[in-house]
Amino acid sequence: MSVAETRVDPITASVIAGALDSIAIEMGHKLAHMSYSSIIRESEDFGTVVCDAGARQLCESPQSTPLQSGPIPGYVRGINRRFAEIGEEWKPGDVVMHNHPYYGASHGPDVGFVVPVFFEDQLVGFSATTAHHLDIGALTPGSCGIVDATDAYAEGLQLTAIKVVEEGRVNEWVWRILRDNIRMSSVVVADMQAQIAAARIGAERFLELFERYGPETVQGASEDLMDYSEHVLRQEIERLPDGTYSAEGKIDGYLDHESPAYRDLPIVASVTVEGSDLEVDLTGTAPQVDLPINMPFEGTVDIAIYLVLRSILLDSDTHDPVPTNSGLFRPITITAPEGCLANPRYPAPTIARFVAGNIIAETVMRALAPHTPEAVAASVGNLKVIASSGLREGGHWVHMDIIEGSYGGRHGKDGLDAVDTLYGNTRNNPIEDIESHLPLRIKRYELWPDEAGAGQWRGGIGSVRDVEFTEPGGFSIEADGNKWPPLGAFGGRDGTAGSIILNPGTLKEEQLPSKIPFRKVEAGDTIRTIAPSAGGYGDPAGRSIERICEDIADGYVTKDSARRDYEHYRLTS
Amino acid sequence: MRVLGVDIGGTFTDLALYDTQAGTTHVHKVPSTPDAPDQAMVAGMGEICARAGVKPAAIDAVFHGTTVATNAVLQHRGAAVGLITTKGFRDVVHIGRHQRPQNYSIMQDIPWQARPFVKRRHRKVVTERIVPPAGEVLEELNEAEVREAARSLAGTGIEAVAICFLFSYLNPLHERRAAEIVREEMPGAFVTASADIFPQFREFERFTTACMNAFVGPGTDRYLEQLAASLREEGVPGELHVMMSSGGVATASAAAEKPVTLLLSGPAAGILGGVWAGELSGRARLITFDMGGTSADIGIVTERGVGEASARDTWVAGYPLLVPMLDVHTIGAGGGSIAHVDGAGGFRVGPRSAGARPGPACYGYGGEEPTITDANAVLGRIDPDRFLGGEIPLDPERASAAVQALADVVGLGLHETAEGIITIANASMARAIRSRTIEKGHDPRDFTLVAFGGAGPLHAAEVATSLGVPEVLVPPYPGITSATGLLTSDLKYDQLRTVFMIEGRIDAARLDRELSELASLVEDQLLQDGIPDGEITVVAALDCRYVGQGYELRVPLPECRFTDGALAEFHLLHEQEYGHAMGDPIEIVNLRVTATGKRPKLGPPCVRAGSLADALLGEGESVFRQGGSLTRLPTQYLERARLPLEEAVPGPAVIFQRDATALVPPDWSALADPSGNLLLERRAP
Repeated sequence: MSVAETRVDPITASVIAGALDSIAIEMGHKLAHMSYSSIIRESEDFGTVVCDAGARQLCESPQSTPLQSGPIPGYVRGINRRFAEIGEEWKPGDVVMHNHPYYGASHGPDVGFVVPVFFEDQLVGFSATTAHHLDIGALTPGSCGIVDATDAYAEGLQLTAIKVVEEGRVNEWVWRILRDNIRMSSVVVADMQAQIAAARIGAERFLELFERYGPETVQGASEDLMDYSEHVLRQEIERLPDGTYSAEGKIDGYLDHESPAYRDLPIVASVTVEGSDLEVDLTGTAPQVDLPINMPFEGTVDIAIYLVLRSILLDSDTHDPVPTNSGLFRPITITAPEGCLANPRYPAPTIARFVAGNIIAETVMRALAPHTPEAVAASVGNLKVIASSGLREGGHWVHMDIIEGSYGGRHGKDGLDAVDTLYGNTRNNPIEDIESHLPLRIKRYELWPDEAGAGQWRGGIGSVRDVEFTEPGGFSIEADGNKWPPLGAFGGRDGTAGSIILNPGTLKEEQLPSKIPFRKVEAGDTIRTIAPSAGGYGDPAGRSIERICEDIADGYVTKDSARRDYEHYRLTS
Repeated sequence: MRVLGVDIGGTFTDLALYDTQAGTTHVHKVPSTPDAPDQAMVAGMGEICARAGVKPAAIDAVFHGTTVATNAVLQHRGAAVGLITTKGFRDVVHIGRHQRPQNYSIMQDIPWQARPFVKRRHRKVVTERIVPPAGEVLEELNEAEVREAARSLAGTGIEAVAICFLFSYLNPLHERRAAEIVREEMPGAFVTASADIFPQFREFERFTTACMNAFVGPGTDRYLEQLAASLREEGVPGELHVMMSSGGVATASAAAEKPVTLLLSGPAAGILGGVWAGELSGRARLITFDMGGTSADIGIVTERGVGEASARDTWVAGYPLLVPMLDVHTIGAGGGSIAHVDGAGGFRVGPRSAGARPGPACYGYGGEEPTITDANAVLGRIDPDRFLGGEIPLDPERASAAVQALADVVGLGLHETAEGIITIANASMARAIRSRTIEKGHDPRDFTLVAFGGAGPLHAAEVATSLGVPEVLVPPYPGITSATGLLTSDLKYDQLRTVFMIEGRIDAARLDRELSELASLVEDQLLQDGIPDGEITVVAALDCRYVGQGYELRVPLPECRFTDGALAEFHLLHEQEYGHAMGDPIEIVNLRVTATGKRPKLGPPCVRAGSLADALLGEGESVFRQGGSLTRLPTQYLERARLPLEEAVPGPAVIFQRDATALVPPDWSALADPSGNLLLERRAP
């Protein structure tokens, strides 16, 4: 064995690794099947994780979105911090609800439910679920596109280590507060109940593991598995040359804001490799703002960085599977100066931090790219999140759609088209589901060709989606990448920024910026979203004529742009 | 009546011939001929008929399990397909659900983008739009555009066309009219309308299913045509029937229209073979465990029958598929699975497999990496001279050398390493079974494990031990269980319709009307197949969920009529499945109707009683873990066909038959059941 010392034999470790995985899978399966809102059951914007008593992650459901499962250890640490402040502790039979972004939570709408696991009176671990809720009582309907909240209080309920079940007794009063302060609370509360049920199943199964194998074996195997994952990642870091590598990315921020402090904001990442250690320093990133694109350092920034490093260094398509546990965090140190976008001070608002975080991941990838060219993509097209809402039969309806982006070209492969990117990996809602349940009509959902970055390996192609309101309602959007196009890599051309257009092709046509606070619409109003098309990889001169012709045949590029971007094609055609 | 089951796999073609009057069964196995699969079938049929002393002309019906459509999808070798879809939605099949298959990967491919069934240049759009809730026509179908699209596809060598319109599951008229036009313009083309395959909501999944159907359609059609022709040439008068993924059989002509329903043909037949064996011994709650060379298939059977996969969870080769399928769970662990230590010191078994070539190291075909079969050989659990009836003599030296090489890396002894390989493989299979049972609210301890496939009976007792399952059943012909399963199935047709109705606003009259329409569709199909009225059973079910949920549970409607009792039943099912029920209103999502036409069934095998002395082939030593340490124990080698009936033989023992080897560990005993099954029972807890 190349891992220095192990506590249990490798066979038992392998058996327990598998058992831990199935626990998280079962939790995810139950949560997806029981939940109500499409953001959880269709988009799968949820996470399920089991941690040890030290709040270290042991496993996660592969159905999870990385931005939901990754933060869970931080949720548990945040609850512990609050408990320490108020002299509280974990008891058997507790269920704790938590969403405070300055206590480890990812952002307010991602509410976590944590169930402690006791074996013979000893706290041995935690079973936890997180999920994105449709509404958390912010200033306007929905839990995305709350881009005008000026502080954490405007973002909705702040739930810090709340015991919704205390030693087996349900605290009905908490649920009453939730029901009175959240739109569509019946759906939100039912989703939360599903989260609790799934967390309890995980706790039961984890306990069974202790009963079956005994604490020494389970804990020994857990330590071994974390050592193992750490070791695997260190091996890959060691292959990188020592040194410091930097890159800078730009986010739109608030393009229509009068002050430059809110627009065109830099994200800077300096990656230092020293042996098998890797540090990411975000110094140089723009200062925090009093609008909610600040990113919680723990729960968003750290996850964006872990995600991208793992996807590059331990790409699951090209590497043996690695247990997803806290061992993967050990070789990595992250720093960001307090008061910057990536490490804001309370009560700076954070609810709309999603799309900015993807640029952190992306910038880290660009910093490393020259040293690991065969494992990276050119810049990705960023995402958009739309909340649509209205009042019907006296109650609210609220719906969330995440609009995909695209991946840049890669070594030997074109980029992925119209897909969720980096730390987001949700699913879209079927059109046939949306129109059957909501006063919305999808008029178009297709690729938006001819805008991807040219290169030896072309960037991925974005999408266009037209959504019409069939009744009066409202919407809000948080997006990025409307101004700054995805960059090409290794000589590939840049892609094309995305856009948001209200009522395209009509007299009422209006170009919108990437952050749109709640806005009312009439029946017949249509929102068009165009996803950015990603950057190309490698000199376009290296693209084979055959591939260029295939692209033209499929309408991915027009003859005109092929002639413009590919000189060798122009000369042969 | 004489019926023949033929299961054509990649390596072997298995046959079972049953004479319903005489009650006799013959089984046979011949090497497959992948380039012309009918050759192996014809050869095998000739041989099995000769053994049975009948002529092929005396065979009344042939039942077939096939991998032809599956291989076309797995190898992505299918027809050139065109798509005609609703204007504005050309790329639904390309964007999919916009989710990456893997969370942590930059270099991954998305199957439907990297290997599309329909290239974008062949995706045509036409003006039309149907809308919910009742399938109202918002925009009429522009027939001229359809004709134009068909003409342009016809000029590009397209052999098959999928027609996929939004909301066609509510109103299929536009799709059907478009299909008519395409058939006019492209005579001879294979045309599929998405609602005709399975009219269920979720456009990406339904469209992909239709495109896959078109992709495998022409090839499957030609293949079934060729088989039928070969059978006619041999003078077989009976019609060819094909096993579907749902566990029913269809006539070859019905199957050729929906080849996408055949993707799990073989595994479905395997489960049914397991059910048949279970019934012989009066066991109704079964875990079927079919372990072969590269993978193991697991199925769960309860008093309610074989579980069906949820439409949301069915995938083939990375593509989603919306057709009824038995709930078969496949894991990458078989006799050929390779044990190795990865770059960071992790001990792994599979999913890489040595397959049949080079195969395990002990085959002597050049494989050097240790496999599960090598580990069994090292532990003395298979007899090198009797493996698969002695067809492949094993070289135990090579097995030891391969396992020893791994042992040196892991730092364990030879036997520890071999036993470790088996433990890891068995644990992953036990885990898969646990997840399939416990997650559904079943306790595996209430089940019998039915073990078949070449390697199933060798691993079953230890897998059962770790699950707490007290009993393992080895069917009479474990190596050809799928072929026997083919002879136990009924003709079966499914219909489905999405309705979306919410409790409090349920139009029971409309439901009953639609149910009876669906029922007459499937009944007519059976009548056409020549099934007499009295042999037809129709059952219905509702797919329901609480309003707002995204996954449905199936509520049976035994009388084919809607009753309020169905809604009460849903609360109970939800409680059973997820551990709690809610007070919310219920939404009816789909109506389902299934018609089955009875077929003659395979009867029990003839069983002869032997004696222990007759059965004893010899004695050897094999290695087991006992009380934490590995121990060599004297082990009896027995021949199954000569075992005494109803006399428990204590383990450790290894029981041989031509196509499989059963292991009886120290705490287990074996008993030949008069039904023809071999029962392994756990003696001590």
